Amino acid sequence: MRDTIHSPEAPVALKSKISAQNVQVYYADNHAIKDVNVEIEDKTVTAFIGPSGCGKSTFLRCINRMNDTIDICRVQGLITIDGENIYDPKVDPVQLRAKVGMVFQKPNPFPKSIYDNVAYGPRIHGLARNKAELDEIVERALRRGAIWDEVKDRLQAPGTGLSGGQQQRLCIARAVATEPEVLLMDEPCSALDPIATAQVEELIDELRQNYSVVIVTHSMQQAARVSQRTAFFHLGHLVEYGDTDKIFTTPEDPRTEAYITGRIG
Amino acid sequence: MTQTSLLRQDARTVRRNRAEKRFRAYGLVAIGLGMLMLVILLTTIISRGTGAFQQTYLSLEVTLDAAVLDPTGSGDVAQISKVSTFGYKPLLADAFAQLSARGVVQSQLDPDDMADILSPGAEARMRNAVLADPALIGRSVQFDFLTSGRVDGYLKERVTRASIVNDSNINAEQLDLVDELRAAGVLDKRFNIAFITGSDSSDARPEAAGFGVSMVGSLSMMLVVLVLALPIGVAASIYLEEFAPKNWITDVIEVNISNLAAVPSIVFGILGLAVFINYMHLPNSAPLVGGLVLTLMTLPTIIISTRASLKAVPPSIRDAALGVGASKMQSVFHHVLPLAAPGILTGTIIGLAQALGETAPLLLIGMVGFIASNGPDSINEALLSPNSAMPAQIYEWAKRADPAFYERAWGGIIILLVFLISMNAVAVLLRRRFERRW
Repeated sequence: MRDTIHSPEAPVALKSKISAQNVQVYYADNHAIKDVNVEIEDKTVTAFIGPSGCGKSTFLRCINRMNDTIDICRVQGLITIDGENIYDPKVDPVQLRAKVGMVFQKPNPFPKSIYDNVAYGPRIHGLARNKAELDEIVERALRRGAIWDEVKDRLQAPGTGLSGGQQQRLCIARAVATEPEVLLMDEPCSALDPIATAQVEELIDELRQNYSVVIVTHSMQQAARVSQRTAFFHLGHLVEYGDTDKIFTTPEDPRTEAYITGRIG
Repeated sequence: MTQTSLLRQDARTVRRNRAEKRFRAYGLVAIGLGMLMLVILLTTIISRGTGAFQQTYLSLEVTLDAAVLDPTGSGDVAQISKVSTFGYKPLLADAFAQLSARGVVQSQLDPDDMADILSPGAEARMRNAVLADPALIGRSVQFDFLTSGRVDGYLKERVTRASIVNDSNINAEQLDLVDELRAAGVLDKRFNIAFITGSDSSDARPEAAGFGVSMVGSLSMMLVVLVLALPIGVAASIYLEEFAPKNWITDVIEVNISNLAAVPSIVFGILGLAVFINYMHLPNSAPLVGGLVLTLMTLPTIIISTRASLKAVPPSIRDAALGVGASKMQSVFHHVLPLAAPGILTGTIIGLAQALGETAPLLLIGMVGFIASNGPDSINEALLSPNSAMPAQIYEWAKRADPAFYERAWGGIIILLVFLISMNAVAVLLRRRFERRW
């Protein structure tokens, strides 16, 4: 401990939050993810890009063990968050998912009020001792989701009555309400119009201050706009991983170059 | 293609349009036939069944002679009850004799024969009144007596002077008397609540038969079905749909549930006879056993509809719940089940309605037959004492010889249909009320 205190030049920026080593994923006999090794940093937006079916969503869903819900899916290799193996038999996936929030492709608010949507996570995890605390958590989450001003007067209105972009920001607010450390986003803007997309992207940029954000996207422009690090997946392989600027300007692998210039994918 | 004008249809288009017109016509004919059948069915049921809700009564003043009813003059109920219904017979003859004496009727019939236009239960009716209130003895009391089934049929035009030629139960002079009494305004049809609340009666007294006790039987069975089939069915469906691993065992279970839904109900009846009555020694003819058998029959229906409504909940809702760290069970009970509830309830009500109309399994456990007990006093008795059920009662009446029972069978059908239609209406309302869109 004393050693770390005495070394002020510790590489904080490079500190890895999520680490994957030799990850393999199989759907029955189909080998969907092959030998993926990646270090995802804290307080950074990391984008996963690649053509359809390349495994980027599958890999994302390994990080909060959502793949556990698919019977035929098997995951091998080591994935750690803060150095802890999340596939250790002692790990309860439910606890893991409270720490690793997720936002899905299609906005999926519960058919309940806006308030209940956000309050659900804190309620089941017992984060609030009383109503006032819960109100506070809900407000903070909705502010972080950049939707507070639009819904503060109608918290009891149904969440499904919001527009698509508002629903997605509500889902982000719901995800951050449980105070996760990592936020996974699976093509969060694919069902949104350009204006709503811009709002969500702006929000993602703000979320970077508090969370390690991993976003899967089909849009290379979006990856370039919001992320600091980019990983390019192709046919289950992680082809290239590096700073976003570098991936988009001077990719090392010919397949990356082919993809970002639109020749494959 | 020689001509290309859009203003003229080519032969192919003409043929295609004709085929479409023909198909629409078939559809209209099919719907028309269906509607026609429905109209015929409903008008038949209503025209034949409404008669059962009316019954012919005779208002008759009877002098409850103390010398006959309480010879010792003690006023003691124990003494009075020693006089059997037979002892009341002279009082009726007396009452008719007085009618003659007062000139209300001109009939030359013997007073005993006059009294035959009343239901055989008339004496019992008087005796019950006297036992309930001994103070009536020695007074003249106005009774509303049920008339016999033949007289009732005469007023409902089921029995005619032509049809009674060979009938030993009634003769033309008695019908003359009925006409006279009717003209005097003491004999007429009126609404008969006893049909809805009363119990079945023997072959000799169709006029007194009621549907009420069999309704209690049916409702007790429905209670058993609801209490057993709903929780078991919903729990089984939730487990199969949400928790069970998908392997060949669950596949086999699934196929078998679908097969069970198609098993003829009489098979469930004989199963109930073998297991519940012969092996477990539950009482014969008891609604508890009927309810258990109907539960077996209803379970597959409930499971299938529950699984369908669980399947209809979009997976994104489950993902959303799991994504914020809900456990599998929390995601099911907090989100999936409430969304599936309207569908589950609808399926349950439809299943119950099906069970309510089921007759065949009841044949085998002895719930079809003449059961003339009065309504049960407690829920325990309702479940364990022999009873009939609505469809079984209808069947029982329909097979009796006297056409008066036939009319009551149609009346019972009306009541049964009212139950079924209201249950289906509740199901539709629930679905409308709680349907959610996302």
